[in-house]
Amino acid sequence: MSSGKFLSHTFRFDGFFIGLVIALMACGITLVYSATVSDEIPVFDTFWFKQITYFLFGLGIAGALTFVRIDWLKRAAVPLYAVSLVLLVVVLFFAGDVVKGAGRWIDLGFFKLQPSEFAKIAYLLVISYWLSRHPVNLAKVKTFVVPFFLFIVPFGLVLKQPDLSTALVFIAVTMVGFFFAGLTVADMFLIVSPVCSVLFSHSQSIEYQVLWGMLICAVVVTLFRRHLPKILSGFFLFTNILAGYASSMVWNMLEPHQQKRVNTFLDPMSDPLGDGYQVLQSMTAIGSGGLTGKGFGNGTQTNLAFLPEEHTDFIFSVLGEQFGFAGCAVVLVLYALFLWRATSISKLTSDSFVTLMVMGASTIFLFHILVNIAMTIGLMPVTGLPLPFLSYGGSFALTCSVLVGFLVCLRYQSSRRM
Amino acid sequence: MLNFSTENEVQQTKNWHVLIFLAGVVLLFGILLLRLFSLQYTHYDENLQRSDNNRIRKVELIAERGYIYDRNGEILVRNRPSYQIAIQATSLPRKKAERDTVFNRLLQIRDTHGARLFDSLSLDTAFQRSRWIKTRPIRLLEDAAPEQIAVIEEHSSELPGVITMIESRREYPYGTLASHVLGYTSEISEEQLKLPEFADYSQRDRVGQKGLEQGYDKEFRGKNGMKLVEVNASGREVGQVSGVDGTDPVPGLHLVSTIDLNLQKVAEEAIPDSAKGALVAIDPNTGEILAMVSSPRLDPNIFSLKRRERNKGWAQVALDSMRPLTNRAISGTYPPASIFKLVTAGAGLESGILSENKYYPKPCTGGYQYGSRYQKCWGTHGNLNVVNAIRLSCDVFFYQAGLDIDMARINEFGRRFGLGEEPLGIDIPGEKAGWLPDSISFNQRKKHLGWRWARGLILNLSIGQGQLVTPLQQATLIGSLATNKGVYRPHFMKELRDSKGNVVRRYEPEIIRPGKMKPYTHRVLLNAMDSVVNHPGGTGKRGAIPGIRVGAKTGSGEWKKGEKTHAWYAAVAPLEKPEIAVAVIMEAAGGGGAVSGPIARKVMMAYFEAKKKLENPEQENSDTEEAGATNTVVKKKEGE
Repeated sequence: MSSGKFLSHTFRFDGFFIGLVIALMACGITLVYSATVSDEIPVFDTFWFKQITYFLFGLGIAGALTFVRIDWLKRAAVPLYAVSLVLLVVVLFFAGDVVKGAGRWIDLGFFKLQPSEFAKIAYLLVISYWLSRHPVNLAKVKTFVVPFFLFIVPFGLVLKQPDLSTALVFIAVTMVGFFFAGLTVADMFLIVSPVCSVLFSHSQSIEYQVLWGMLICAVVVTLFRRHLPKILSGFFLFTNILAGYASSMVWNMLEPHQQKRVNTFLDPMSDPLGDGYQVLQSMTAIGSGGLTGKGFGNGTQTNLAFLPEEHTDFIFSVLGEQFGFAGCAVVLVLYALFLWRATSISKLTSDSFVTLMVMGASTIFLFHILVNIAMTIGLMPVTGLPLPFLSYGGSFALTCSVLVGFLVCLRYQSSRRM
Repeated sequence: MLNFSTENEVQQTKNWHVLIFLAGVVLLFGILLLRLFSLQYTHYDENLQRSDNNRIRKVELIAERGYIYDRNGEILVRNRPSYQIAIQATSLPRKKAERDTVFNRLLQIRDTHGARLFDSLSLDTAFQRSRWIKTRPIRLLEDAAPEQIAVIEEHSSELPGVITMIESRREYPYGTLASHVLGYTSEISEEQLKLPEFADYSQRDRVGQKGLEQGYDKEFRGKNGMKLVEVNASGREVGQVSGVDGTDPVPGLHLVSTIDLNLQKVAEEAIPDSAKGALVAIDPNTGEILAMVSSPRLDPNIFSLKRRERNKGWAQVALDSMRPLTNRAISGTYPPASIFKLVTAGAGLESGILSENKYYPKPCTGGYQYGSRYQKCWGTHGNLNVVNAIRLSCDVFFYQAGLDIDMARINEFGRRFGLGEEPLGIDIPGEKAGWLPDSISFNQRKKHLGWRWARGLILNLSIGQGQLVTPLQQATLIGSLATNKGVYRPHFMKELRDSKGNVVRRYEPEIIRPGKMKPYTHRVLLNAMDSVVNHPGGTGKRGAIPGIRVGAKTGSGEWKKGEKTHAWYAAVAPLEKPEIAVAVIMEAAGGGGAVSGPIARKVMMAYFEAKKKLENPEQENSDTEEAGATNTVVKKKEGE
C-alpha cells in the first residue's frame, strides 16, 4: 500500500476522478468545436453539439451504473457475453454498410449499434468473472483452456469484420487479465517473448540478430529460474526459436509487393502517397503547434481540412496544432491521473473480480490512448482506434461512459461493503 | 493450506502489479512526450514553415488514354487538351464576406462578346458544394477557351481559390466515321460504379461506353499516378514535396484496329445518314472486320464538349426515333430473307436430297399450293435446278426443297456457319444473337401470341422469312460458305501496343464454328453465288465488278405488310480465293439487288483498287503520291 492511501478509503465517490473525466470531456468538445466549426451549419447539426449530447447521455448512464450491485455485474457477465457474440455474428452476415468495405454496424434506426464496442464491455465482464474464480497458473496449462476459448471467439469475429485494431484491444485486456489473475512478471515475459522474436528477427541486420540472441538467452535464464514442467519449458524455447527462424523465412517467401504492404502498415511514412499522407499532414500540424500552440481556432492545417478524419481519429493533431506541446502534455497528464485514480480502486477490495474489472477497463483506455496518439505522431500504423473522451463519435463515447460507470460503481459498491 | 498468510501476500502482489502497470503508463507516455517534443520543439521551424507557407496536397496524375488506329496506322481516336476552371474549396477565403467578393468578381467576368462567363445559378451551386467537398476541385467551367483561361490567370491574385486545370479529352478526328465501332467515353455512372467489374474505378473517372472504347476500356485507361505537391495560400502549385517520389502514371495501350480507313470512308459515303441501314465488310480468312457502318450515326465528339452542349447533343441522339445509338450491324436483328436460301440449298446438297440434277415436279408458275394456302413467288420461273433457283431466287423451288429437307437439317447447316442463338462473340459490346426457329423454340417464343408450330411454316422459313440474323452474321455466313475453312471470330482488335510502340498483344484468329461442308456442296454453292452476279437474269448483277469474280446473294425481307422490304445484299470475292465478304442491309428500302447491291459493289471496288495499287508498284509511281490521294479524300469528307 504505497500511494493514494489518503484518498482510497475515505470517499465512496472519488470527486477527483469524476472531475478528471469531465475535464477530458470538455477538452474533447473544445477540440471538436474548433475542428469543425462553421457559420453555416445550424447549431443542432454541429458535431460539437452532438458530442455534448452524447457525453450528457453517457454521464447519465454512468450515474445509473453507480447503483448496480457487484453481484449483478457478475451475474450479467455470461448472458451479456452471449448476446455480444450473437451480435458479432449478426453483423458479419447482415453487414449494415458493405459499401465502405467493412461492415461493422447494425442499423437500429435511431442508433447505429457497433457490436464490437459492445463486445469490448461484455468480454471485460466475462473474462474478469472467470479469472476471479479460476486463477491461472503457467505450470498448469489446463487453467488457460476456458479463458482461451472465451477470448478467441469474439477476437476471431472482430478480426473477420475486419477490424484488426479493435481485435488487438481484446489481446491487451486478456494479457492484463492474466497478469492480475496469477501470472508473474517472468510469466508475462515468457508469453510475450515469441512476438518479440518475430519482431527482432524479421530484419536481417546484425543489430537485430544480436538483440534476438539476447532475447533467447533471457528466455533460457527465466525458464531455469521458473522451474516449469520440462515439456512447457521446451515449448517456450522452441516457440521462440521457431518464431525467429520462421518469421525471416516467411518474410523472404513473400512477394515484394506483399513485403511492401507489411512495411507500409508498420511504417506509414514509407508510403507517403497512401496512409502516410494523413500521417504526414498530422505530424506537420502537430509540429507546427510548437511549445504553446497557435491558439484556439487558429489551426491553419486542420481548419483547411487537409485531414479528412480530423475530428475523429486525428483529433490529437488539432490539439497539438492549436495548443502545442503544453496542451498535449496537459492532456497526457490528465490521462495519467485518470488511470492512476482508476487503478487505485483495486486497493479498496480483496474481491479479485473488482481488481480484474478495474485493470481491464484501465487497459482498454490505455490501449486506445497509446495507439491513437502514436498513430498521429507517426510512431504506429494507421488504425481506426479513437481517442477516449476527445474523438468525436457516439458509439465510442457510450463505451467510455459505460467503462467510467463501472469504475465509479466498483469504488462505490466496494467501499459500501467495507 | 496457508490461507491466512496468502491473503496478505495476494494483496501485496496485486499492489505490486498495479505499480508495474502504472510504471508502464508513465514510461509509454514519456515516449509519446519525447516524440511530441521532437516534433514541436526540435523540428518546429520546418513544420511551421511547411504548414504556414506551403500546404501539401495530393494530386492524381491521370494516365493518358490509349489511341485507336486503323490497320494502316491512321489515327481514328486521339486525345486533346481541355482547359477547366475550378474552385479549390480549401483555398477559398474562410470569411463569408470575402468569399462573396470572389463570387461577385467571377460573376462580373465577361468574354469578348460581353456575355457572362459564369451564370449565377451554377456558380452558386459550386460555392454551395465547396462547403462539403474539400478534397478535390469543383468545376466551374469545363472545356474553356484559351482566352477565358487567360482572364482567370491574369486576375489570379484577386480570385483566391479559383484555379485552372488541364484535362485530356477524347477526340474523334473523323467525326461520325465508324462511330458505332469506336464508341465514346463519359464520366462513370452511379450504376456502373456499383458493378463488380468497375471495382477499381472511382467516381468521376472517364470510362468507355459502347464500341471499342468500352470493349477495351481496361487496356485504354492505363494506371493513374500520384504526386505530393506544395501549394501556396491561393491553392496554386509551387513545387513538389522534396524527398517524396510520386508514382508516374502508366499510359494506356494503343489499339491497332482491323478497320481500313479508306474502305470505311467509302462505305460511310455509300450509305446516306438519312437512311436506316448497316454494312459489314469482313475478311473471312481471319474474321478481321475491315469496315462497319451503322446508319444513322452519331458524333462521339459531343461527349467531350461542355456539359450544356453535351446534354443537348445527347438528348438529340437519345430521343431520335431513328435510334442512332444502336449499332445496327451487330445489334439489329432482321429476317435473313432470300440470302437464307444458300443455307437451305447447302443443307439439301449436304444431305444428298438436292443435287445439280434435281428438279421438283411442280414448276414455278408464280406460286405454290400448300393445303388450303397459296404461297406466291415473286416471279414466274418455270422448272429450275438448285443453281438456277438461287440465281433467280425462286421461292417455289425452295418451298418444295424446304419441305423435303426439313428444318432440323437446315438449322444444323445454318449453325455450322455462324447463324443461330449464340452471338459470334465480337470484341465490342452489344452483339445480339439471331434465331433459327424449330418447333420447340417457336412454340416457346410465340406462346404469348397464341401461335403454334405448323408444317406450313417451313415454307416461309426455307426462304428466310421468320428467322433472325444480324448483318454481321450475314457477312460471316457468306464469307465462310465461300472459304469452306471454318467460321473465324469476327473482331476489331489487331494489336495492342504500349506507348513506345511495342506490340503487347496480338489477336490470334480463332475458329468458333466448324464452317465445313463437302467439296461437292461447296462447288455447287460457289457456282450458284457466281451465277447470281455474273449470269444473265441473276438478281445480283448490279454487284458485278469487271475482272473480279464476285459471288453474292440478294434478299428482300418482308417485315410489315404494305411497307417496302428490307434490302439485303451479301457478297464475297474473289470466288477462287475469297478475301472480302460484305453484307449490306437498307431498312425498308426495296429490293436487295437494286438498292444494296451497288453499295456493296462500291466497297468491293475500293478494296480491289487499293489492292491493285499495292501489287503494281509502277502504277503507284505513276500516281503522284498515295498519301496525297488520301489527304484529298479527307478534305472532301470534311468539306461536306
